[in-house]
Amino acid sequence: MKKRPIWTGMIALVFLLSIFLVACGGKEGGIKKDTGNSLIYGRGADSKKLDPIQVTDGESLQVTQMIYDTLVQYKDENTEVQPGLAEKWENSADGKVWTFHLRKNVKFHDGTPFNADAVVFNFERWMDKNHPQHKGGEFTYYPDMFGGYKGDSTHVINKVSKVDDHTVKFELNRPLGPFLANIAMPPFAIGSPEAIKKDPEKFNENPVGTGPYKFVEWKKNDTITLEKNPDYWVKGLPKTDKLIFKSIPDNTARFNALKSGDIDLMNGMNPTDAPQVEKDSKLQLFKQQGMNVAYLSFNMKKKPFDNPKVRQAISYAVNKEGIIKNFYAGLAEPAINPYPSFMMGYNKDVKEYEFNLDKAKQLLKEAGFEKGLKLKLHAPQDPRPYLPNGKKVAEFLKEDFKKIGIDAEIVTAEWKTYQDQVKSGQHELALYGWNGDNGDPDNFLYVLLDKNNAREKDASNISYYMSEEVHKLLVEAQSTVDQKKREELYKKAQEIIKKDAPWVPLVHATVPVAGKKELKGFFPHPTSGYKLYKVSR
Amino acid sequence: MQTQTVDIRNKVVEEDKPWKDFMRSFLRHRSAVIGSVIILFLILIAIIAPVLTPFEYSAKSNDLMQSPSANHWFGTDEMGRDIFTRVIYGARISLWVGFFAVIGSIVLGSLLGLIAGFFGGWRDAVISRIFDILLAFPGILLAIAMVTILGPGINNAMIAIAIINIPTFGRLMRSSVLRIKEEDYVLAAKAMGMKNGRILFHHILPNCWTPIMVQGTLSFATAVIEAAALGFLGLGAQPPEPEWGTMLADSRPFIQTAPWTMIFPGLAIVLTVLGFNLLGDGLRDIFDPRMKQ
Repeated sequence: MKKRPIWTGMIALVFLLSIFLVACGGKEGGIKKDTGNSLIYGRGADSKKLDPIQVTDGESLQVTQMIYDTLVQYKDENTEVQPGLAEKWENSADGKVWTFHLRKNVKFHDGTPFNADAVVFNFERWMDKNHPQHKGGEFTYYPDMFGGYKGDSTHVINKVSKVDDHTVKFELNRPLGPFLANIAMPPFAIGSPEAIKKDPEKFNENPVGTGPYKFVEWKKNDTITLEKNPDYWVKGLPKTDKLIFKSIPDNTARFNALKSGDIDLMNGMNPTDAPQVEKDSKLQLFKQQGMNVAYLSFNMKKKPFDNPKVRQAISYAVNKEGIIKNFYAGLAEPAINPYPSFMMGYNKDVKEYEFNLDKAKQLLKEAGFEKGLKLKLHAPQDPRPYLPNGKKVAEFLKEDFKKIGIDAEIVTAEWKTYQDQVKSGQHELALYGWNGDNGDPDNFLYVLLDKNNAREKDASNISYYMSEEVHKLLVEAQSTVDQKKREELYKKAQEIIKKDAPWVPLVHATVPVAGKKELKGFFPHPTSGYKLYKVSR
Repeated sequence: MQTQTVDIRNKVVEEDKPWKDFMRSFLRHRSAVIGSVIILFLILIAIIAPVLTPFEYSAKSNDLMQSPSANHWFGTDEMGRDIFTRVIYGARISLWVGFFAVIGSIVLGSLLGLIAGFFGGWRDAVISRIFDILLAFPGILLAIAMVTILGPGINNAMIAIAIINIPTFGRLMRSSVLRIKEEDYVLAAKAMGMKNGRILFHHILPNCWTPIMVQGTLSFATAVIEAAALGFLGLGAQPPEPEWGTMLADSRPFIQTAPWTMIFPGLAIVLTVLGFNLLGDGLRDIFDPRMKQ
């Protein structure tokens, strides 16, 4: 009896050691799967739904992009537009009428033909809340990109009509600058009208499109299996017979699965693991241009953050280079404007607030906070592509804030709760970010900083930045088709935003994607929507 | 008069004996000694933490992710903070949380157990059902629920851990009371018309003390683990507090590139829990009358 406790201790130690050893070994132990001619893509979360118009998250849209096509699509490497289901298109002189000429001899996976009727049907279903098949859930992206639903005063699309079997005409109420870029977004993919009519509720789980892969099976929270569409309208695609999406939520576990060969490709890796991939002879690292931004938002509804001096002071106290070195393993660029420099209309002449604690202190003093300031700094617990370790960035900021007399209390929450909190303005300062959808500046500036998006609930302008001046510029840029003029307007807007400092833009993160060495034809697209059907071994 | 004085002196000597007895069997019990040495060591480290290290636990530096060296004994984390410093400051948090959580549950649990056991009847029914309800949940789940309601933070985690441990002590106390209240000396006190309060606190409570103490030591170990678990889930200590569980959670991304960020806080938890378990088991053996020669 008396000896037992020591034995328990010993056993505990042996157990601990064995865990450690297993973690070290293990490499050769993985089961070699017969992958055949298939591609297994490991990702951080499962799809929510398979009807593209009803989802907004990247993981869901990644899958629907393989099953459906859009009228126009992005090029492999960037967000320039190329023909998709539409072979060519024209825009009228006043910018209000768009005519699309559709590809012929394209069939949906259920055998029904793709034609002008299908396009009209899909758009009517999305825009009209009273449409009999407007069912299954929220169609969030439609009103976000086209100013509302049918009947709303701000709705952009007046009418979508069939000219002949392979020609569709869009009549707009006002010109829309980013119209083509919007139409190319994966949520606006054309589904089979027959399948939707049959059961609009179940269409979520039984997707039927024209895309390179057909849907086979969905095991919730585990895998989604797709098989080759032999009749795909691009000859020679897709490259693999099967495409499997596997959800492995933990970043480290997913990386281990890649190393052991259970998956071929993965997204959402810790930037700190990137150097390991580069060293590994069996793997390759893809660096995706960061069409994203991580930022520190001030809630301008709350005192003292309505005072521009306080916001500017804090802007001077943020060490962006330090954040990149510590938490992004160097895989990021410091952000000066709300969107990255490779996008249209980037203003490189704005005056950056450099890291300067003396200036910060001086400004705080001018604002009347000589004795210091207490604030709450919200940070998300879960990793995001643009912010792999929000909690740590908050700790990092806290240390520098301390030096200028700001006592920051860090508040963290799990992602869903966190979103609810910041989108209803419960924060004082919050770390947040955005992944660009279509490469148009409108998709950053209007969404994140226009007063129309500073809603009480579900705001996307979480700083509650209400500038009339910026609003005018953004709306004008939105309804202009002349790209040169739009560039000027966006440059002007960035200047005002920089001066008002509703945020501290932190970084544009380069997104690391890792895959097996033998993979060919993978392009890390800036939207994070990858054309996996072009990947071969 | 004189004889009486002698009697008292004899009595004092008599009372001294159990303590000596205890010390003798304690020192003979190897695991109890090892356990208490570990615990004393941890307490010492927690107290003199600032003397042991030149670093500050929250101060970042430019030495990112360094492996253990003469300068940084346990290496540094991704903000360049010294892990040795964070681990020894972490001992303060863990011992603090463990101590107050256990004291809290002992006080509340014993009180409820005393009332339930001594008075019986409807009081017993109500209190015992409350214990049953608390015990029906897995402890950590209940703690998570409570912290979610109270809001994350080290003090709320402490309260939650105290509450989930109440029934353990309550039941232990109740069963002891049920046995002791039938003892002759209690019946005698009752017959002499002694008030309930006095019987409870002068006769019953002191005689129920031993199992509570043993359980308390063992619960200390569980409380440390529970605090670490809550920290790991992001519900316990908030950054930049150097809590061991939080440190473990934070080091997950680096398990392959910088394993020292995970190993040392992990070992600290193991050592603390081992210490308290050894001591607790030892105390149980020592106090168990059947184990006495």
